[in-house]
Amino acid sequence: MRLILLDRLNGKRFHFYPLALSRPIWELRCGMTTLGEKLVAKTGASDVACFVPPYMAEVYRAESGRPVNDPRSLRGDDLLVVNGRVKASHVCVERKGPSRIATDADGECLYARIAKEDLPRLNSDSVDALLDSARQSLPAVEEEVPVWDYTWDLVLANPEQLREDFTAAGRSGIEGTVEEPSAIRGSRKDVYVAPGAMVHPMVVLDAAEGPIYIDEGAQIHPYTRIEGPSYIGKKTILLGAKCREGNTIGPVCRVGGEVEESIIHGYSNKYHDGFLGHAYVGEWVNLGALTTNSDLKNDYSHVEVTLEDGRPVNTGSTKVGSLIGDHTKTSIGTLLNTGANVGAMAVVNTTGMPLPKFIPSFAWLVKGAVTKGHGRTGLYRTAEVAMGRRKRPWTPAHQAMWDEVFELTAEARNKALKKGRIALAAS
Amino acid sequence: MPSVEERVIAVAARVLRLDPSEIKPEHAFTTDLGAESVQSVELVANFEEEFGIEMDEDAALAVQTVGDAVTFIANVCKERGVDV
Repeated sequence: MRLILLDRLNGKRFHFYPLALSRPIWELRCGMTTLGEKLVAKTGASDVACFVPPYMAEVYRAESGRPVNDPRSLRGDDLLVVNGRVKASHVCVERKGPSRIATDADGECLYARIAKEDLPRLNSDSVDALLDSARQSLPAVEEEVPVWDYTWDLVLANPEQLREDFTAAGRSGIEGTVEEPSAIRGSRKDVYVAPGAMVHPMVVLDAAEGPIYIDEGAQIHPYTRIEGPSYIGKKTILLGAKCREGNTIGPVCRVGGEVEESIIHGYSNKYHDGFLGHAYVGEWVNLGALTTNSDLKNDYSHVEVTLEDGRPVNTGSTKVGSLIGDHTKTSIGTLLNTGANVGAMAVVNTTGMPLPKFIPSFAWLVKGAVTKGHGRTGLYRTAEVAMGRRKRPWTPAHQAMWDEVFELTAEARNKALKKGRIALAAS
Repeated sequence: MPSVEERVIAVAARVLRLDPSEIKPEHAFTTDLGAESVQSVELVANFEEEFGIEMDEDAALAVQTVGDAVTFIANVCKERGVDV
């Protein structure tokens, strides 16, 4: 059986912007692993192929090492096609059995099991053609398939997912180094320090309310306090951080200040003081000293997040922080509003007041107004430098992908630029 | 109607908080008028609003002097069919 991970440039994909602008939805994280890793583990698949929006195919092919957007993946074996939005914990698809397909109310394929013997009567020229013919000729599944609807769903589910993933990992104890005096509160079996990880003196690991997993090569510097459940990724450094419960951080991040119930992808820095709560932060982000996000409104009402299409969505939660896309930088003292949606490749300058709730990708925020800033060339140059510092290449494929992201996000940005010009002229 | 040069100087004076009489065409925005990086971005946005045009940011930010900005903006206006 071959697992086909599916993410098409349609439907509810923009619900996961800005994080999904530069990666398939299944590369988003919840708990200790990505959604894709959970799907692979749940289905037990060893043969995995992927179908992603075309503009990110080349970058993702290089990063994942898997077949990407290759129609040959659609032939020669039983197929289990799973949409990246499907919750792995609820996947109950038998590896063998009759062919069938499950779609959502909009007709988007959530999963399809296609037996090898049924493939000849379907059109497997492309994944879209295959799914179209499957919709027409395979029995439809009536059951409801639980899916992730928005990025903040992952943040809100993170604490519980961390507990489940810690149990599933089945590791516990100190295989790295914990220097004395440090304190472990709660049960030692709820702490795992991986080989090569280093916990400096004067660190508190508080596992009383949940497990703590410190992955290989991580360094936990003095005066850091980590509350479980938390996952600290490979080669991440915590610098005297107040790391509250429910965090997924890393790999290769530098994090200080106070962080609560947040997910931070790799290679991002929040080196200094400042509060980050119920936030989802992409790769290569730098949050300047004292950058702080609100995750709770003063009247305790549900937080609304403005999506790329300008539509505010009630999250149904009183606690939602910022969503911050890849390569975005904030200046010192930046104050992000509750449920702020900050695009990718943005440069955010402080105003001393909470900033707009929606900041488009590739925007330079000056005096609270969206401008073009120094343009794409400068942003790409910065991205190349940032990646080079961590020995990661910025390739022509990256540039081509981000050029496409620039176009994808143009409508929202152009509206904001127009307002920004008026605001600056009046200031 | 004020000339392109007068309008460019008026915008530069407002953004950089200078007396318009102190701004000459030969002045460089950064070295002579003290424009910082963020103010350069503001200048571009304000010129766009003043003249009702859109400028390529890389080309616009490559402009060094007030006189060059006048020429650059006049050319963009001409290309876009904007009367100045």
